[in-house]
Amino acid sequence: MLTELDRTEWAHVARIESVGMKLPERRVTSRELMASARHHPHIDLERLTGIRERRVCAEGESSFSLAVDAARDCLARSRHRPDDVEMLVCASITRSIGDTTHRFEPPLSLAIKEAIGARRATSFDLSNACAGMMTGVFVLNDFIRRGAIQCGMVVSGELISGLGTTAAREIRSLYSRQLASLTLGDAGAAAIVERAPDGRPGILVAGFTTISEHSRLCLGMPSPHHREARMFTKARAIHRMAMQDAPPLLGEVFGQSGLRLEDIDYLIPHQTSARAIAAGERELRERFGAGPKHMVINVEELGNTASTTHFLALHRYLSEGRLREGDKVMLLALASGLEIGVIVLSMDQLVRTHGHAH
Amino acid sequence: MGTRIESVATVRARRGPLSRGALGLADAAARECLARAHRQPTDLDLLVNAGLYKEKSVVEPAFAAIIQEDIGANRGHPPILGHGTFSFDVENGGCGALTAAYLIDGFARSGSMRLGMVVASDSDPAPRTSQGYRFPPVGGAMLLQATDGDEGFDGFELRTFPELGGRFESGLQWEPGRGLAHRGHNALVVTEALEYGRRCVECATSSVHAFLDRARLSLRDVDLLVATPLPAKFPDALGGELGIDRDRVAHAAEELGGAHTAGTMATLEGAIESGQLARSRNVLFVAAGAGITIGVALYRRGS
Repeated sequence: MLTELDRTEWAHVARIESVGMKLPERRVTSRELMASARHHPHIDLERLTGIRERRVCAEGESSFSLAVDAARDCLARSRHRPDDVEMLVCASITRSIGDTTHRFEPPLSLAIKEAIGARRATSFDLSNACAGMMTGVFVLNDFIRRGAIQCGMVVSGELISGLGTTAAREIRSLYSRQLASLTLGDAGAAAIVERAPDGRPGILVAGFTTISEHSRLCLGMPSPHHREARMFTKARAIHRMAMQDAPPLLGEVFGQSGLRLEDIDYLIPHQTSARAIAAGERELRERFGAGPKHMVINVEELGNTASTTHFLALHRYLSEGRLREGDKVMLLALASGLEIGVIVLSMDQLVRTHGHAH
Repeated sequence: MGTRIESVATVRARRGPLSRGALGLADAAARECLARAHRQPTDLDLLVNAGLYKEKSVVEPAFAAIIQEDIGANRGHPPILGHGTFSFDVENGGCGALTAAYLIDGFARSGSMRLGMVVASDSDPAPRTSQGYRFPPVGGAMLLQATDGDEGFDGFELRTFPELGGRFESGLQWEPGRGLAHRGHNALVVTEALEYGRRCVECATSSVHAFLDRARLSLRDVDLLVATPLPAKFPDALGGELGIDRDRVAHAAEELGGAHTAGTMATLEGAIESGQLARSRNVLFVAAGAGITIGVALYRRGS
């Protein structure tokens, strides 16, 4: 794994200073989504996935608007002003803006930077499927640890529920390769990553790798004949490979960092379905002989919001006051590629400052 | 510690039915780049793709992961504490390759990786429906090795000029009533304003001056300018504006002249083949892209 620990010769520690989000108002239940299926595939989606509903954008909303609103929410909870942001990374899979269904150039990050007034920021887009935002934090962590910058933002807006609309139209059975698309929901999320004051904790370890022999198990692309994109996933194979490959890599991260799985207070995995997360937890407990104190499942009301899931869950747990200073929170990415990523945070000021607007 | 360029390679698709798409171009460029450095794909710690236009406009997974699989860079599960490869995409138009090099150089400076590769390629995803797409099918790769020596990158900067943002745009546009059975289709639309090239030169000129001021260098210290081939005639126009002699301006080979995201590699390869790079000590990389975004980097060659 490409791993960065907080105890190398580099002087600085990075930490997440603020988390923001944007959820569209409109809700679509799994029952409503499946009622739109043309071929009556007889799938009890809520029972299968634990997803009761997801948020869906209205006319006029886009990946861009979700990202901008999330970035503004993040800044409103932060002590930083837009001008403090030195690097801005947009990590969305989807890139809709205005009438454009997918923007290639200029990068979406540039429009976001303009919209929020982060004029000083170096900006670029980064794409790494559902591991995108975590990869953005990984990059910012690297720049902050070696003192290149002091403050950066990673942001994502995912208008991705259209894949579910397309899937519902085309799906015929439980074994369809578009089944995973039915789990998707729209959301925006943003996080400010900053240099922690000397002696304060932050990101304890961050590590990523790509098990690329599975790179073609999930392919997402715009549809040539529908406005909405499409995604084809061999969901069972991906789940099986993730269960096989993730535990040894987690063991590697634990070995390097001196942490143990039972030291983790909250493990936030990528949010696909409640059933998949529960199966993953069982697998981890079997492999390590112990588990995290809490496994976070946040799909019931939001579904799978692609690259934003970890930060929506973190936002919710912060808002509900569940996290305490000193808690260790692990973000675990399992994304198309197959990307496996781990970031372990030691909670500090964020549990006190979240919710405080300027 | 930073990174030194270990090798560079570019590939242009031949015309005809066996013509390669963006993936084939990226794979071929990456393999050739590794071969030129006598490296194995399994040596790679980090693979960053900066290409934009590809088959079916795939948005998931990262294109870099597919390239990693194709070239055999630690495809499977690595042994514990073993050697894996991490892949992701960076999208920053014509500045994408330089942005990717910036990130790889950073991971090398923090000691997280030893060998990284930038890959970029473009091909028209749907030639029958795309509008305004003019980039030739070119792939490029650049291998970067962590180094403690005196050769390597010594500073990167990305500057944006959003007030000029509308001069170059590309994206998928939904066109109702078009396509198969008039059901509508998503078409790639690329637009470029007439003044885009001139504006890029203006923005790059001010960016270079600001960069050199911060580095406490003057234009006399620049031995070679390696600028992206796009917009058209950008290297010569920028060189002229900066007052850099033509023999200190590198050019891509003619057949690679319109290379988009692989443009940095195309010009660098031209500089190697012409012998200009071997004669230079301070090399200034400049990339121009939509936004307008200008990337500048200084590369110091060893004595």
